[in-house]
Amino acid sequence: RGRAKNCFRVAIQRVEKGLQYAYRDRRTKKRDFRALWIQRINAATRAHGLAYSQFIKGIKLAGITLNRKMLSELAIHNADAFNQILNKAQEAL
Amino acid sequence: MSSFHRASQSLRTHARMWYLIDAKDQKVGRLATFVVKLLQGKTKPIYHPAADVGDFVVIVNTQDVVFTGKKWNDKLYRHHTGYPGGLKEIKAKDLHAKDPREVLRKAIYGMLAKNNLRYTFMRRLYLYKDKKHPYKNNITQELTGPCKPAKKLQDYTPAEIENYPYKNLF
Repeated sequence: RGRAKNCFRVAIQRVEKGLQYAYRDRRTKKRDFRALWIQRINAATRAHGLAYSQFIKGIKLAGITLNRKMLSELAIHNADAFNQILNKAQEAL
Repeated sequence: MSSFHRASQSLRTHARMWYLIDAKDQKVGRLATFVVKLLQGKTKPIYHPAADVGDFVVIVNTQDVVFTGKKWNDKLYRHHTGYPGGLKEIKAKDLHAKDPREVLRKAIYGMLAKNNLRYTFMRRLYLYKDKKHPYKNNITQELTGPCKPAKKLQDYTPAEIENYPYKNLF
């Protein structure tokens, strides 16, 4: 039992597969995290009545170049700063 | 922020809320999408699909929930018992007569992601057909549903009724 961890021939195949997954997932990791940040920002802005799409439009118009990673971190840890960014976005719209 | 040290901050952020929603005059599907967002925790900026950050939702007055059009007569809930010729069909109005909570429960169940967390989220959903529910001490916030009540004939002013464009519609 457990040949994939005990028998060399089977194990080496699993190792190769694991390395392939690692190669592929280093690329998908970047996409996955961006999607998560977008979901989190969406949640935070909708709590204030603004949708994510409108928020990003307002941010671009206001000239704020923060990326989504930072915006989501701000939304979680530093609500005051995030609210100020929301206000700036709403003014620019 | 002197008393807001890390532990109590975390408790406030990660606490599960209890929401009360009145389903009277709410359209089934639209209410279900609203509730599913609360159950999954997608309204919180700490959301993560693997972490369980969902909230509790208590829905009252499910017997007054609304289907538009002729769905009460036409919508069929089907399931197959596995035996040959065992397709069971039940109309929405009959299902509602049997158990007024089922229509909404099926809608929400179908809208949740089909993964292992669905069972956990459904356990946090409490449906009651009338106003009585035993969770008065738990409710943290009462929410209004996404649908506004439809305008009744009494609410239209006579001028609006006069000028309603029904003459040259087609």
